[in-house]
Amino acid sequence: MRKKVTRTSVSPEAKLTRVLEALEQELIDASDEEILAAAMELGMNPKMKGSALFAGLKYPARPQLADFFDLDVGIKAQPTPAAAIQQRTVPKSPK
Amino acid sequence: MRQIQPLVDTKVVGPAESALALRLITEMELLKLKAIAKLHARGLPPDVGWDDLLQEALTRVLIGARLPPENVPIVMFLAGIMRSLKSEHWRRVANRSARLPTLRLDQASAEGWDLELCDPAPTPERSLSARQELAAIKQLFADDIVVLKIIAGLADDLSAEQIRCVHGISRTDYDSARKRMRRALLREGLTCEKK
Repeated sequence: MRKKVTRTSVSPEAKLTRVLEALEQELIDASDEEILAAAMELGMNPKMKGSALFAGLKYPARPQLADFFDLDVGIKAQPTPAAAIQQRTVPKSPK
Repeated sequence: MRQIQPLVDTKVVGPAESALALRLITEMELLKLKAIAKLHARGLPPDVGWDDLLQEALTRVLIGARLPPENVPIVMFLAGIMRSLKSEHWRRVANRSARLPTLRLDQASAEGWDLELCDPAPTPERSLSARQELAAIKQLFADDIVVLKIIAGLADDLSAEQIRCVHGISRTDYDSARKRMRRALLREGLTCEKK
């Protein structure tokens, strides 16, 4: 009869899943005071309008093309569908 | 000629903003979800960000694809959706990398088809990625020996009682280590990306 119980090796993926689930639960259990304290520690105030804490939530986390360029310029330059039809249908004046 | 005002506002409202406006979640819950999303986005390819995970989870609730049960807190429910989105991503990657069945021209009959089953065991790539993710998580708490012991216990599927017994940690020390762990996770989760 065996006297020792040897543990079978667990895959790193299974270990990671367990750790992530436990850490997720820790975050779910976090109180509002703890969130505020962590934010203040980072020098951010969630009560402030446009706080960096909400990057990726209320506004994009990564800079957008529209932050640097006026993308409407291209749209404005394009003729509207109605104008394009009108351009095609109006006969060209004879030279 | 009088300019007709556009009927639709050009501002696009994101899922998080919609969820806030509908009072589905509070701002504090949203921040909590941000930290959870960052935790789950670890190890995902760079084109799948934490914000994609969270916004997709919120979208599924907003459009009614996932209905939150009454007795489950919304944060827990959304965290579950993010977890399933992550596994969905890895399943898709595994299916894409699996060899597609080929049909030889001389066996072009119904009997000629072979059914190829995918191996459910993690691939070496996934195992390596999991190892790296675990190392990164341990690195977060590198200075805290008690927290590292707790994480090792959690990885071995031990209960809180078992972790305290195996590593000789008192209840008070265990509880304060968990508080430190939570604070570090929140700090990490709320930090802006370094780009």
